Amino acid sequence: MIDLKRNERIQIKNGSKAEVIQKIGEGGQGAVYKVHYAREDYAMKLYFPRAIKKKNEFYSNLENNIVNGSPNESFLWPLYITEMKNGTFGYLMRLRPAGYEDFSKILTAKVQMNSDMAIINAALHLVNAFKDLHSKGYSYQDLNDGNFFINPENGDVLICDNDNVAPYGQNVGVDGKSRYIAPEVVTGKSRPNVHTDRFSLAVVLFMLFFRGHPFEGAKTASHCCLTEQLEKEYYGVHPLFCYDPKDESNRPVRGIHNNVIRLWNMYPRYIQDAFIKVFTAGIKDVNERLTEREWTNILLRYRNSTIKCSCGCYNTFEDETQAKLTCADCGTEINRPLVLTINKNKIFLYPETRLYTYQIEDSQDLFQEAGMVIINKANKSLWGLKNLSKRGWIVEYSSGEQKSVPYGGVLFLLKGTKIFFGNEYSGEIN
Amino acid sequence: MGKYDNVEGIARRTMILFFLIDTSNSMSGTKIGEVNDAIEGVIPEIKEISSSNADALIKIACLTFSTGVKWMYPNPVDVNDFKWSYVNAGGMTEMGKAFEVLNEKLSRNEFMAEVAGSYAPAIFLLSDGAPTDEYKDAIEKLKKNNWFKYALKAAVAIGDDADKDMLATFTGDEELVLTAHSPEALRKVIRFVSVTASKIGSKSSVSAQTTNAKQDDFAEQITEFNSDLIDSQNDNW
Ligand SMILES: Nc1ncnc2c1ncn2[C@@H]1O[C@H](COP(=O)(O)OP(=O)(O)OP(=O)(O)O)[C@@H](O)[C@H]1O
Ligand SMILES: [Mg+2]
Ligand SMILES: [Zn+2]
Repeated sequence: MIDLKRNERIQIKNGSKAEVIQKIGEGGQGAVYKVHYAREDYAMKLYFPRAIKKKNEFYSNLENNIVNGSPNESFLWPLYITEMKNGTFGYLMRLRPAGYEDFSKILTAKVQMNSDMAIINAALHLVNAFKDLHSKGYSYQDLNDGNFFINPENGDVLICDNDNVAPYGQNVGVDGKSRYIAPEVVTGKSRPNVHTDRFSLAVVLFMLFFRGHPFEGAKTASHCCLTEQLEKEYYGVHPLFCYDPKDESNRPVRGIHNNVIRLWNMYPRYIQDAFIKVFTAGIKDVNERLTEREWTNILLRYRNSTIKCSCGCYNTFEDETQAKLTCADCGTEINRPLVLTINKNKIFLYPETRLYTYQIEDSQDLFQEAGMVIINKANKSLWGLKNLSKRGWIVEYSSGEQKSVPYGGVLFLLKGTKIFFGNEYSGEIN
Repeated sequence: MGKYDNVEGIARRTMILFFLIDTSNSMSGTKIGEVNDAIEGVIPEIKEISSSNADALIKIACLTFSTGVKWMYPNPVDVNDFKWSYVNAGGMTEMGKAFEVLNEKLSRNEFMAEVAGSYAPAIFLLSDGAPTDEYKDAIEKLKKNNWFKYALKAAVAIGDDADKDMLATFTGDEELVLTAHSPEALRKVIRFVSVTASKIGSKSSVSAQTTNAKQDDFAEQITEFNSDLIDSQNDNW
C-alpha cells in the first residue's frame, strides 16, 4: 500500500477531515500516522486493505467500541473512525505520550525499568486494565509484547491495538502470536476469549518479572530450529512450565535462560505458586487461571511487604513471621519493621514505604498515595508516617494519648498505635 | 541497586536474513549500484525490527556470486553491528556454486549453530541473468535441506534477461519471483522483501491452523506488493 502524504485529508465518519502529519510506523495489519483532527493531534491506525478479512464486521465492532468508550485510562482506545474508502479504513486514538516504551524493548533490555517498585506497579496497572476491560464484558484477544507500552519511571501502562477487542463470546478473527496466546487457541480448539486473555496476562506478567518465557527451557532449547510445528507443540499441544514442580524436564538452561534462573528465587513463594497454578493446572482447566482480582490481591500483598533498603534495593518480606532479611544487593541485615494492619492490608513500614488511598477509604485507585514513611531529620532512629491524604487522621498511642494528624502532619511509628482515618477505616501498628 | 541490575535481554532465537547477490559482469553499473544503495538503506529498518523484537534477533549474511562465490563476512552478523560493504560486479554467473555453499552453511554445524536456537531463515536471491555453471544438482540438494524448506524465500529478476524459471525453482513458487524493470522498482523490491521477510521471519508464528502460516503470509504479502508493482512499472533498464 502506498503511504499517505503529509497534508492528505482523511474523512472521519460523522465528522470533518483529519490531516496527515507524518507516518509513525507500520505493523502487520496496518500503518500508524500522526494526524491533526479537531484542533488536536492523534494517532491514526490505517489498515492494509488485505489485512482485515471480515471488513464490515470488523468496522462495526470498532464503531461499537468507540460508542461504549474506554474501560479505563490505560487504554489507547479508538475515539473516531474514518469512512471506508478504497477497501480500507482506520481509527483515531490518543498519541502515545513521551516516556512510554515498548514492552519488547524492556524485554530485550534496551530499556531498563527504573526500580522494582516500577515493575510491581506496571504489573498492577496491567492487571487493573484487564479487570476493567473484562468487567465491561470485553475480551482483548491479542495480548502480546508488541501491544502495550510501559513508562519505566513509574510503571504506568498504555495498551494499544484495541481493535480486536470484542464483546464476550465474539471475536473479529485475530490470530495471536503463539508465544503469548493460550494453548487452546494455538491448537485451534478455541477462539480467544476472557479465559485466553487471562492466560496471556499471566505470560506477560511472568515475562515482566522473570525476563524469560514460562514454557521455554531445556526442551525448547534442544531444537536448533523452532519450526511452526514445534511452536504448536511447545505453546499449544504440550506446553511444559519451566518450573513445573512435577516435571523437571523443561527447566531453564544456564547460558540461555540466565534471567529466569536468577530471578525466580528472588520472588516470594506465593508469587511462584500463582504462576505454577496458571502454568500447570491452568493449561487445561481455565478455572485454574487467576482472575484479575486474584492477581491484584497477590500483587498488593507483594507491594505492601516490599521495602526499600537505604542502598536503593527493594526487598520483600515473605510474611510477618519473618524476623529479618538480608538485602539482595548490599547484604545489610534488615529487621522486620513495624507492620500497619488495615483490614486485609499488612503494610511493612520502612522509610519510603507508601500508604495508598485504597487502603484507607473506599477507592478503586491503587496508585494514589495517601501517606509515606519518613525519617526524623534530627533523630534518624525515629520514623514517622506522614499524612498525604485529604482527610485528617486521629492517632491513639498505646499510652492512651490521642493526637490529630492533619494533611502534612506526621505520627510516630510506635508499637500499639491505632490510626483512625477520618471515616470507617482504621488500622493498628504492631 | 536491585534485582534487575544484571538483567540480560530475554532469550531470543535468531533469524538470519540471507542475501544472495549476482555480481556477474552484466550487473555492472546502475544495477549493482542500486543493489548496494538499497540494501545499505534498508539495514536501519531491519535494525529497528530486530531491536524491538523479543522473539528473535536478526542477523545478516550476504553471499555474492560471479566467477566464484564470496561471503561478505565469515559468519552471519547481528544486524545491530552490521555494516554493508559495497560489492562490485564482474565475471561469470556461478549460481550453482552459490547454491552449493549455501547448502553447506544451512547446517547446525555451520551458520545455524545459535545456542538459543533459530527460526527458519529468510533467503533473498537477486539476479539479472542465468547460471553459467552446472546448477541443477546443487539446487536439487539445496531443496532437500530442511532449513531451506522452512525458509521464507523470494527472488528478484533484474530486467528481462533473468532466468525466471530457474528463480521460481529456487523459491518454489513463481509468485515469489518479482521482476524489477527499473532502478526505482529494484529499490522498492529490495526494501519490501527485506522488511517483510524480517518482520514475518523473526516473530513467533500466528496461532492459525496451518504449520506454514509464515510462508503463506509472506507469499500473500509479496503477491499483493507485486501486483501494485506491475501496475506502476515501465521499462527502464
Ligand atoms: N497511539 C499510538 N501513538 C504512537 N505510536 C503508536 C500508537 N499506536 C501504535 N504506535 C506505533 O506505530 C507502529 C505501528 O503500530 P501497529 O500497531 O500498527 O504495529 P504492530 O503492533 O507492529 O503490528 P500489528 O499490526 O500486528 O499490531 C508501532 O511502532 C507502534 O509503536
Ligand atoms: Mg500492534
Ligand atoms: Zn541494600
